[in-house]
Amino acid sequence: MSKKEKILLRATIAFAAMFALAPVANAMHIMEGYLPAAFCVAWGVVCLPFLVTGFISLKKKLNENRKSITLIAMSGAFIFVISSLKIPSVTGSCSHMTGTGLGAILFGPAAVSVLGIIVLLFQAVLLAHGGLTTLGANTFSMAVAGPLLSFGIYKLCSKCKVNRKTAVFLAAFLGDLFTYCVTSIQLAVAYPSEAGGVAASAVKFLGVFAPTQLPLAVIEGILTVVIVIGLETYAKPELKAIGFLKGAK
Amino acid sequence: MIAADKLCYRSKLRYVNAGEKFWFSVLTMLFLILSRSLSMAVLVLLVNGLLTVKNGGIGLGSYLRLLSVPLVFLILSTLAVVVNVSKVPLDAYAVPVGAFYITGSRESLLFGMQLIGTAMASVSCLYFLSLHTTMTDILGVLEGLHCPRLLTELMLLIYRFIFVLMDTASAILISQKARLGHRNFKTSIRSFGWMGAGLLMKAFQRSNALYDAMESRCYAGSIRVLREQRSVKPGEVGAIVCFELLLLGMTIGRKL
Repeated sequence: MSKKEKILLRATIAFAAMFALAPVANAMHIMEGYLPAAFCVAWGVVCLPFLVTGFISLKKKLNENRKSITLIAMSGAFIFVISSLKIPSVTGSCSHMTGTGLGAILFGPAAVSVLGIIVLLFQAVLLAHGGLTTLGANTFSMAVAGPLLSFGIYKLCSKCKVNRKTAVFLAAFLGDLFTYCVTSIQLAVAYPSEAGGVAASAVKFLGVFAPTQLPLAVIEGILTVVIVIGLETYAKPELKAIGFLKGAK
Repeated sequence: MIAADKLCYRSKLRYVNAGEKFWFSVLTMLFLILSRSLSMAVLVLLVNGLLTVKNGGIGLGSYLRLLSVPLVFLILSTLAVVVNVSKVPLDAYAVPVGAFYITGSRESLLFGMQLIGTAMASVSCLYFLSLHTTMTDILGVLEGLHCPRLLTELMLLIYRFIFVLMDTASAILISQKARLGHRNFKTSIRSFGWMGAGLLMKAFQRSNALYDAMESRCYAGSIRVLREQRSVKPGEVGAIVCFELLLLGMTIGRKL
């Protein structure tokens, strides 16, 4: 590990130890049946344009090269597997990555939106993370909003010539945080507080989930950096095949 | 590895027509979130529990363990609904903290209970679908609903690949553990990251080989699976329709 990584790691450990109480920290999937029907439909509709864009771009990719279907499917399965594995944590609690930042950086936000809804559907049916009625809301926060921000930050950082590891960390970390904020706001809009309305409610939801989500976002950022370092070391040809690492040798 | 997927192949309700199970789960869920009625939630929980444990032959212990998966989310977010910080105390309870009160109204407490009840009942509906229906059958239902071909095709492939990659990932994790790769937090972060990188690399290499294998067997954009046709049984459909009508009645009764 480089010196910078070491510093980063120590900071995380200190940070995560502060929240050592958190018992189980799943990624922030809104559970089945938790949102009112009108909101389920509304979030689904909001996702539609992104899904259609993603769908068209996938279709175009497949028309250019039919062979990429297995590659796309493998990427989807990879996102599912990486987000269903228990990640290391200081407290021995059980938490999972969202994988959205990594997916957005590697495959682009358009592909991730379609892969994301499929992965979320599987997570709901196979693992009961999230649900069928809340699929729209979860898709918006985890497969649209988070990845879009991650991708934007990553591109912005590469434009500003920020070092790649920092860019990857920021993209994954902020993408994760953004997902958590969006989910809190989704819950707050559905259940405004009796005292103070939507804004107060959003603060409450943010506060309640902060102890689990903040350390998780840091760990997710670090893991994403380590994964990208590993890929750059061992999988350059594969990375070029998916369009990551364009100019690199 | 994935409990729900293992159990659904053993379920005694596996060979019931998938459409029946799908619509039963989805409609019941819909009525639950439309009505937010506690009595309906209790009814649905009982019916689903009975169907799953008695008719489906899933062990009660593993069913309860599965039901507890979303509990943390449920508790935390309901806490956020029920607890308020305000300058004026509300009617159910109020704990003064400085100039403010940690407080809540009776209405919101009742609403919190309804939320917990209906959410848990909805989860039991989700499990009714996933513990008794194999993923290929669910995909069949989606195809019947005119879900785009590309999507169902991708879902079929992703579903298969998940297990391939899960195997690889657990093999890598076991060998890392055997070499003390998960000795402490620092090493486990590093090991997990390298496992991720290795996994993606393996996935890409496999995907090439897989496509070649599929193409040599005449793959042209879709894998055609011979679906086992399970006939729709009028008795079952009748029972489902009656049950849903009852729920519809309860929903309308509550809104009046």
